[in-house]
Amino acid sequence: MTGSTPKPKTYLGVPVSRPRVAFFELSSCEGCQLQIVNNEATLLEFLSLVHVVNFREAMTEKSDDYEIAFVEGSVTRRDEIELLRRIRDQAKVLVAFGSCACFGGVNQLKNRFDPGWVKREVYGDAPVETDRAQPVEDFVSADLRIYGCPVRKEEVERVVTDIVIGKEIHYPKYPVCMECKANENICLFDLGEPCMGPITRAGCDAWCPNNRAGCWGCRGPADAANLSEMKKLMKERGFSDEILLDRLECFGGFGKHVDEYRKGQR
Amino acid sequence: MLFRALKKEDLKRLYDLLAGSNMIVAPVQKGQDGNRAPIYAFEEVSGFGEIHLDYTSTKIPAKRFFMPFRETMADFRMDGKDWGKRVGFNIDRPFVFFGMHACDINALNKLDKVLLGSHYPMPYYAAKRNNMFIVGIDCRPQPYCFCRSMGSDTALHGFDLFLTDLGDHYFVEVLSDTAFNIIRQITTREPAESDHALYMKMVSDKNKQFTLQVNTTDLTKILDMEFQSDVWKQWGEKCFSCGTCANVCPTCYCYGVDESVEMDLSRARKTKFLYACNLIDFAEVAGGHNFRPESHTRLKYRYYHKHRGFVEAYEESLCVGCGRCGESCLAGITVPEVIASVRGEDI
Amino acid sequence: MNGQIKFRDVMAGQQRKHYRRNDLGAFEQTFKAEITAIHRLTDLENLFRIQIVDAEDRSMFTFQPGQFVILELPGIGEAPFSISSSPSRHGDIELCIRRVGSLTNFLFRLERGTRVGIRGPFGTGFPMEQMHGENILLIAGGLGLAPLRSPISYVQENRNLFNSVDIIYGTKDPSQLLFTYQYDMWRADDVNLHIIVEKGDPSWEGPVGMITKILEEIFRNRDAGYFQNAYAIVCGPPVMFKFVCNLLNERDIPMQKMFVSLERRMHCGMAKCCRCNVGSTYICLKGPVFDYWSVMNLKEAI
Repeated sequence: MTGSTPKPKTYLGVPVSRPRVAFFELSSCEGCQLQIVNNEATLLEFLSLVHVVNFREAMTEKSDDYEIAFVEGSVTRRDEIELLRRIRDQAKVLVAFGSCACFGGVNQLKNRFDPGWVKREVYGDAPVETDRAQPVEDFVSADLRIYGCPVRKEEVERVVTDIVIGKEIHYPKYPVCMECKANENICLFDLGEPCMGPITRAGCDAWCPNNRAGCWGCRGPADAANLSEMKKLMKERGFSDEILLDRLECFGGFGKHVDEYRKGQR
Repeated sequence: MLFRALKKEDLKRLYDLLAGSNMIVAPVQKGQDGNRAPIYAFEEVSGFGEIHLDYTSTKIPAKRFFMPFRETMADFRMDGKDWGKRVGFNIDRPFVFFGMHACDINALNKLDKVLLGSHYPMPYYAAKRNNMFIVGIDCRPQPYCFCRSMGSDTALHGFDLFLTDLGDHYFVEVLSDTAFNIIRQITTREPAESDHALYMKMVSDKNKQFTLQVNTTDLTKILDMEFQSDVWKQWGEKCFSCGTCANVCPTCYCYGVDESVEMDLSRARKTKFLYACNLIDFAEVAGGHNFRPESHTRLKYRYYHKHRGFVEAYEESLCVGCGRCGESCLAGITVPEVIASVRGEDI
Repeated sequence: MNGQIKFRDVMAGQQRKHYRRNDLGAFEQTFKAEITAIHRLTDLENLFRIQIVDAEDRSMFTFQPGQFVILELPGIGEAPFSISSSPSRHGDIELCIRRVGSLTNFLFRLERGTRVGIRGPFGTGFPMEQMHGENILLIAGGLGLAPLRSPISYVQENRNLFNSVDIIYGTKDPSQLLFTYQYDMWRADDVNLHIIVEKGDPSWEGPVGMITKILEEIFRNRDAGYFQNAYAIVCGPPVMFKFVCNLLNERDIPMQKMFVSLERRMHCGMAKCCRCNVGSTYICLKGPVFDYWSVMNLKEAI
């Protein structure tokens, strides 16, 4: 999968190197990494742009000589913290890859419960180490985040292209509604279903609403997320606090808001 | 203007004639909401039976056919320190719009003023607008319609044919030469005096059905006077800054431009995408300064552009009163209520 | 029976080499231009000399001081920049650019000989001819010297057409001073140059303070006749031109004889994208140069 060595590239006369890229997974489903390999149409172009040296989903060889590290998953064990620190020391660019790495993701749901109970429920009496699920940035700094559960392949390709040519990376600051309306979807609220689209950061091209499923907020809050109006909206449409909280808590991106919400409820 | 009367059962002949060699865009039922009320949309159709000419209004106007939400403005081929640019307008055939309401036709007329009738006419719009054949159809006022207040309840121009339902036949306005050449290929008759009377009665009945009004008297001045009013802050607190109002608006045309490099680094693309003035970074400049960081300043700007600035420039507002923004706004912000509150009136 | 609607190519018969601004072809007309020289001015700013490649296009390219162009780096983006060079040089322009965003960061990595796109010129300029025979105050704060350098060049080249000319320029500290190599030339052309910095350094011998301080000192020695026949061009951040213009107004210079340049986000430069609107005025078309009276009447302008 390393490919042949292509000739040096430039963009507008600026030399462009083919960076060595490594993918790592902490506690995760590796679904984000699968997104990269599951479209063969652009995979070859992707591989001519970067030199992948470590990618468990698609290759067996491994190397610790890399410039860009994509770290998928959240931290739940001590050895993961050590791995993460080693990655940080080596990588010029560390990318928090997917919602688990960015916010803790679905894994952080367990933080709501008693840790002993959670462990017994999942692993029984097996001697497994599993701690609170925390985002990558609780331990090391990340240079970039790519949101989503899973990440969106088109966005990843664009971000990687921009890293390679040295162009600043920008994310949408607006909520999912913007993309959802542009796709002319029927509003989930019109269909009588809850949706976190009005407050969740876009960039997914309204992936779930396109398939008539309400947004669960996997990308975390948009830059101007109006939580108080969201509460009103949910109430007005007959959805309980718990339905809203379930969604806000699902991926961890709204952690701050949930804490405030719970405080307000008490 | 030329008037004809067309038997209802002959409308399909008009459709067949147009559909024989053109793409037809028409209102269809896209689904139904939680209360089983139909949800309509403009779509490309392949049969007369798909069309719902009795539709209330579509959630989203036919915008994507004349002002796509995303559109490629130019392609680049990179060549070392040099490059080549190719500009295209993304249309290669005309579209027939079968069953457009007066508000949506008036929206096009307003867009024509700013996008075609000013300095730097916009070829991306011109190419599509000049390849529209529009068959208009009359409508019934809905509870959210305030087109009459905005002077957009009837269309005087900007279409080819306009149909008004008079029971067993349509009263047909023939505006363009193209339309004349098509309508004469099917059986119509000269409208009789009784048809005129029927038409006028229909119009007067329709006018009585409007339940919503917006007081536009002195609005430009009032908006200036109330620039610092606290009501903006109240609406701003509700606003999701999500851009839905702009996306469902038939007259919103603000956009952003984005350039991207293909993964092979030998091609690049310039893309235009419709933007919305309520989005947080609408007026943010390089370096991070934001000229409208607060939600209420953006919402206020939206009203200033539509109900003040456009009036100053074109003697009419950039709002046709279709009510779509208010219907789609999840925070329940509607134009009639905002304007009434700025005027200090109860609605 | 034929219901076919004929497709109309809106560009048919429109293809020409030089478009006027009401032609459909003007909208996405990009002049290919080459970066012929790059001068480092400060840690943050460079002066880019950019020449339209086609000789005929270059000579047809005319502009007024104060107007701007949109610079395009294919695949990277576009952004508006005031022209910093003399209008007599036509399409061989200079842009003084601060490294501050996505486009400019990439631009600073380009080498001489790279081709870029130029659209424009757009917007309004300073009404230089209206100022002929008058006393001129050219006032800049910080990067405001970039748009001011074009009227300065015009005044230099037509020095006989103006009465007394003052350049008043203030920055935060001496390291931020732009175009230092030109100061002697300006003085040699009988222009009074006054420079002030907010914070000096050990080598700084000039005055220290806000720009209004130096203005007050200059004005102390000028009589009413001077102000009656004075025009001012003020470029800089809004907070600065607000103070300066108020000071000028106290000396009875009418607001319609003071000109400022506004900065906003822009995508098209042609009054279509609406990103630059202030209230409901397109800064790209009705501005960026406004007289101060008009600015005072724009909601949310400063």
